[in-house]
Amino acid sequence: MQTERLFDRIDSIQLKGITKKYGEGFAVKDLDLEVIGGELLILIGPSGSGKTTTLRMINRMIEQDEGSVTINGIDTKNVDPVRLRRNIGYVIQNIGLFPHMTIGENIGLVPKLEGWNKKEIEERVKTLLEFVSLPPDMFMNRYPKQLSGGQQQRVGLARAMAMDPPLFLMDEPFGALDPILRKQLQKEFLKIKNEINRTIVFVTHDIEEALVLGDRIAIMDQGELVQVGPPEELIFNPANELVADIVDNQRKFKHMDTLKVKDLMSPFEDKYVLQAKTEACDAVDEMTKRDLETAFVFDEDALLGQVEIVDLMKCRHREEKLSELAKPIKTFQPMDSVAFALSEMKNSGEYLAIVMNSKHPVGILVSDEVLLKLI
Amino acid sequence: MVVLETVINATWEHIVLVYTTLFVSIIVSIPLAFGAVYSKKLEFVIMKFANLVQAVPSFAVVAIMVPFLGIGFTPAVVAIMLRALLPIIKNTYIGLSNIDPALIDYAEGVGLSQWQIHRYIRLPNAYPAMFAGIKFAGILANSIAVLTAFIGSGGLGEIIFQGLIGYNTSTLLAGAIPAIMLAILIDTTFTILEKKVTPGHSSE
Amino acid sequence: MLSIQAIANVWERNLMTMRTIEHLHMFSIALLLSIIIGVSVGIFIYMKPKTANPVLNFLNIVETIPDLALIVLLLPILKLGAGPTIAACVLYSILPIARNTYTGLKNVDEQYTYVAQAIGLSPREALLKVRIPMSLPLIAGGIRIALVFCMGVVTLGGLVAAGGLGTVLQNGIQLYQKDAILVAGLWTGLLAVLLDGFAGLIEKKLHERYGTW
Ligand SMILES: Nc1ncnc2c1ncn2[C@@H]1O[C@H](COP(=O)(O)OP(=O)(O)OP(=O)(O)O)[C@@H](O)[C@H]1O
Ligand SMILES: [Mg+2]
Repeated sequence: MQTERLFDRIDSIQLKGITKKYGEGFAVKDLDLEVIGGELLILIGPSGSGKTTTLRMINRMIEQDEGSVTINGIDTKNVDPVRLRRNIGYVIQNIGLFPHMTIGENIGLVPKLEGWNKKEIEERVKTLLEFVSLPPDMFMNRYPKQLSGGQQQRVGLARAMAMDPPLFLMDEPFGALDPILRKQLQKEFLKIKNEINRTIVFVTHDIEEALVLGDRIAIMDQGELVQVGPPEELIFNPANELVADIVDNQRKFKHMDTLKVKDLMSPFEDKYVLQAKTEACDAVDEMTKRDLETAFVFDEDALLGQVEIVDLMKCRHREEKLSELAKPIKTFQPMDSVAFALSEMKNSGEYLAIVMNSKHPVGILVSDEVLLKLI
Repeated sequence: MVVLETVINATWEHIVLVYTTLFVSIIVSIPLAFGAVYSKKLEFVIMKFANLVQAVPSFAVVAIMVPFLGIGFTPAVVAIMLRALLPIIKNTYIGLSNIDPALIDYAEGVGLSQWQIHRYIRLPNAYPAMFAGIKFAGILANSIAVLTAFIGSGGLGEIIFQGLIGYNTSTLLAGAIPAIMLAILIDTTFTILEKKVTPGHSSE
Repeated sequence: MLSIQAIANVWERNLMTMRTIEHLHMFSIALLLSIIIGVSVGIFIYMKPKTANPVLNFLNIVETIPDLALIVLLLPILKLGAGPTIAACVLYSILPIARNTYTGLKNVDEQYTYVAQAIGLSPREALLKVRIPMSLPLIAGGIRIALVFCMGVVTLGGLVAAGGLGTVLQNGIQLYQKDAILVAGLWTGLLAVLLDGFAGLIEKKLHERYGTW
């Protein structure tokens, strides 16, 4: 089926009084919300607060019982749902790559249904894979189960971008990933977001993610909107206890001047370690298996630096050892102040550092964009 | 033309053939199924053999009896058993082995003997699967029993073969229709039995 | 046991090459029809869920009918020859294929059908591109059961002048030729087991290719 393009850019999306009932209970209750064109709007709130339902009412996966959704002044009720959805990129937590299709076929599915020819599809797939830092030659013909979780998530994003939609709906896209991998993908996503400059509605459970990525944050509770505004506003002027709780659950923003590196670091794990004599190709396989984007290179016990899987995949010199490829990485002590560590990292443009207790790695520090904004 | 008496006699022969075989099959199957629970080797052989024999056309199984056992009631029973045994063993085995190990532990803990565990715990737990297997075997036996008339077992197949010689439609139907009714009877009775032994249906 | 020479003689005398071809010919037509009809019925009852139970119950009853009795029932309608045999094959085979198709389509993991809808596949496209391919391993399982049924019923064809290897068995029994019975019986069995094994292989491949992880 070939569908016409509905809109090239989003000026505004208006949710007006939308209500969805299941039996006696309200999933969403009389919700008014505007999404401003070009922004990344976060929906956050306790489990069952109606975030997913709200998201699905935007692309008509769920039809509201009352109220209306208008995009650029067009009521979505008057648009064919299939056509509407092809103009909206959708990414979910468990990604849902079709296991019977290759990565290329997964990304090219909707373009194929739109009647593009083989060459156009292939070109589009390649562009998108490159965009999400997956070398096309290496990944196009693989099946989803041959990819790590992080790689699958990138493919999920690439698939959502296939028709170059002006609007993305994302339902906890990084929710299933481990915390460090999540931070790395967020970081990359932020870059992508700035490049493509699209309107995004993004559901998450993770307040850090919300504060880092969101231009504005909408807090939901029991199907209702509690507060919406930019991160700073929520932190400094929370509308009620719930908002204050969600936004600053560890009260760390209020006490950031006394915060130490050890309060913020994630524990170090052996899975991040690769040995210096490992060859680049083996390292890629190993990192895929361990679901890592970044690994730290050690020569026996001595820290040499870090390697990123994206770089390793690019360099084709099979025999190169990690000792030659490792890039330097900053180290801090557990008792260093967070403000100091973060500004150091910001100055050198790095987002990862290792926390060493004398000679032993004890933690990983991921730069915290939120704190940086506030420092 | 066939007279009613012939049909009644043939039906009776048919029933005797089917239920004899089914009865013998059950008697033979249950020890084998218990054996398979204990011996991985026996389990492997039974399952492999089960799948293999299931693929062989019934008529070929019936025919191959003749060079070895000649014609008559006995080769017919053996041929039917070859097909009917395996679903019963297979299902009984699955029923017996699909038991919560904690339940067995508990039974041992309260001091039941091995025999008591088999009799009062494993076997009743296997009933639903077992009866499903017996139903399937019964339908299969009824179906093959029509064929074995060709090697002299008697039964409703004999009327059908008579009808085929002269291509006499009413004779054909006089054999076929009672055979179909018997099939449906087996299906319904065993479905009821199956429900009776399935926990949660026992009150009905 | 039989010598090679004796087997060759039996083979010649009973025209077994021709009988095998007849056998496989009937079998292929029957299986092909079964697949087409079975898959269609499976898709139909999937799309009209209200019809699923009545249709499957009806097919379950058909399944209990003794195969020879079913062929005999069809004789007055389709006359002697391959017709009743093929029709009986199909009637038996619809159930396993339709049932597996239906179960496969229905049980595709919700996350995939949900994504299909979310990225803008119409219900038809989702059926063709997602549900059906993801059900292929199960459908193949149903076809494999049907294959065994068809082999069995086609062999009966010999009794109603449909030709095929059943004819050799029938003659062998009537003339009490043990060697003919043995050769034809074993050959028929072997053929069925080989085809079943081959189908099993395809089924396994499909599982690897289309199965979820
Ligand atoms: N199909 C449904 N049938 C009945 N109730 C539903 C259905 N879908 C959602 N609900 C209910 O509606 C409410 C909101 O659900 P929703 O999925 O939107 O929450 P959520 O904020 O996305 O939660 P989570 O963070 O757990 O994903 C919940 O109470 C849920 O139980
Ligand atoms: Mg949700």
